[in-house]
Amino acid sequence: MNNNTDQKTLDSMHAEHGKTVGQPFCKDAKFSTRNVDVFYADNQAIYDVSLDMGKNEVIALIGPSGCGKSTYLRCLNRMNDTIDICKVTGQLLLDGQDIYAKEQDPVLLRARVGMVFQKPNPFPKSIYDNVAYGPRIHGLTSNKAELDDLVEESLIKAGLINEVKDRLDSPGTGLSGGQQQRLCIARTIAVQPEVILMDEPASALDPIATAIIEELISELRKNYTIVIVTHSMQQAARVSQRTAYFHLGKLIEVGETNQIFTNPAHDLTEKYITGRFG
Amino acid sequence: MIDKNTMTVKVEKSLKKRYLKEKIFKSMGFISVAVAFLFLLMLISDITIKALPAFVQTQIILQVDLNEQDLGITQQSSVDEIRQVDFRRVIRAALKKQFPQVKKRKQKKDLYSLVSVGAEYQLRDLVLENREILGTTLNVTFIADDDVDALIKGAIDRNDEESGRRVKDFKLNLIETLEKHGQIEKNFNWQFFSSGDSREPELAGIKGAVLGSLYTLLVTLLMTFPVAVSAAIYLEEFAPKNRMVDFIEININNLAAVPSIVFGLLGLAVFINFFELPRSAPIVGGIVLSLMTLPTIIIASRSAIKAVPPSLREAALGLGASKMQTVFHHVFPAALPGILTGTIIGMAQALGETAPLLMIGMVAFIVDIPQSVTDPATVLPIQVYLWADSPERGFLEKTSAAILVLIAFLITMNAIAIYLRKKFEKKW
Repeated sequence: MNNNTDQKTLDSMHAEHGKTVGQPFCKDAKFSTRNVDVFYADNQAIYDVSLDMGKNEVIALIGPSGCGKSTYLRCLNRMNDTIDICKVTGQLLLDGQDIYAKEQDPVLLRARVGMVFQKPNPFPKSIYDNVAYGPRIHGLTSNKAELDDLVEESLIKAGLINEVKDRLDSPGTGLSGGQQQRLCIARTIAVQPEVILMDEPASALDPIATAIIEELISELRKNYTIVIVTHSMQQAARVSQRTAYFHLGKLIEVGETNQIFTNPAHDLTEKYITGRFG
Repeated sequence: MIDKNTMTVKVEKSLKKRYLKEKIFKSMGFISVAVAFLFLLMLISDITIKALPAFVQTQIILQVDLNEQDLGITQQSSVDEIRQVDFRRVIRAALKKQFPQVKKRKQKKDLYSLVSVGAEYQLRDLVLENREILGTTLNVTFIADDDVDALIKGAIDRNDEESGRRVKDFKLNLIETLEKHGQIEKNFNWQFFSSGDSREPELAGIKGAVLGSLYTLLVTLLMTFPVAVSAAIYLEEFAPKNRMVDFIEININNLAAVPSIVFGLLGLAVFINFFELPRSAPIVGGIVLSLMTLPTIIIASRSAIKAVPPSLREAALGLGASKMQTVFHHVFPAALPGILTGTIIGMAQALGETAPLLMIGMVAFIVDIPQSVTDPATVLPIQVYLWADSPERGFLEKTSAAILVLIAFLITMNAIAIYLRKKFEKKW
């Protein structure tokens, strides 16, 4: 529905919205969310967040701990469904379709919107089986050869193939932290999602592994929409085109990454990126 | 601010105290372990020492004359014909031949009671196995009576006064004569492992009870494991969190605390009286024990499932696995080692359980070795109880031996469980 919204409507929506500074909306949005509130029982974790994520864009969500950026991220593939007391209201559209609609199957949604977690969490299985698991349960390939190809292709895209091609049968948990995280990315890519959500994917990794992951993210951007939560502002600056700043459950400012880091419009954003709190 | 030096002094002072506390705790822990181990050692060694004689059997070698005319059978006789022959006569004749001086009726009775009442069946089976021995005279090794056995093993002291001795002088003379001729032997007691219960201590074996326990536990395992694991998975992963589920949870915990004899009463009322399942059978015993084991395994399985890291669930869900796929592809395999540990604890409990089985008739005296789960049977702990309750001397050592077999059974079960657990843990 937002695909063809013209600039005028966008501006007026922004004016209505009132709170968020910058450009939370974009043309040709992949994901488009409006007035999202999230409650854990009686505690409200997210207040009235409206944000668009464009096609083939990397958008970084930054903000101090507990500001709700992870919660917001987990709304996008309905991972919050697993928490009984969590309630999500507002409109969340993927390609114009409401992902919280009754007829939307969360399993199908999660196949379209992949997720990479903060801590590498490979299955206690072989490297091959880790990557092959998603395609297998979704029946994406019709024979072993196709599956082999898909696994290889995913490992190539995740930049892991050279390190593991001789030991696809060894356990995925035996890899180093950075390799495990790339394995998790390969596993996510293997399902061929449209959007990849990343929840601080490099926070448990050393600078070298982080650099590899960041390079990978820039590479993946060609084919996927990527939403990344990060605590590292350098990382946000390096990998993302747009950056959204969250504060205490509210979306304070959204803008071109360059602009956010060089010339933030909002006081809170400025204080955060200059390290005066957070 | 505290002065640097006084700070160091203070810390040093408190360090001593801290280390002392640690030392005290460590030594107390070591003592507790040592005491527990000592008790175990005492128990096992006491039982083993008492049980050892049970693994040895006293045997008497007699020369029997298997004259075909006297017996009224030939090598071509049918099995039924041979079965009808009174082999007791042959054994008595052999004893009389060896001690021709014994004439009085009471003395004859003593003479005949040197060998076990099972000797005639031993001879019959020997003839049935090889017919060629018919018509020959040969030495046969018979099981000695339990009194002879006790005397040979030293459980009855030959030097006691005759009035206080179970084996009187006349019989003692007979035994000593046999000993002098080298006709008394002590051999390993295979019979103990190959026969069922008996009123005669020298004939009683453990096989019936071992198989009874095996069948009972098999029924228990087959009944409990699928039900308990399904219940645990459902409660942990699928059940909505509401009052009804809380209520069920509390009641499962309560069930684990119900005295086991109550389950026996339930089994009697429901399975035997209402469903008319056979009395004294492992099938009923197994069902009753599975009721008792169910809460133990459910509770253990639930905590094993709870201990599976949530990141594993998230990983699967994040890839688009359904709830069911997440649980059965990832959570269940990860929880399996813990579930197996819980199962083995439950099964070990069931193996040692006596009270509920008393109520459903598994305490009966059963000679036949059970062939299936519907045959009357008894189980190891009840066999221990039955033998401990018997007045004959020979059962004393059998009781200890049965306890040893029970412990061996338990260790085997645990070993299998540990092996399985290790096997499944490897996948990590």
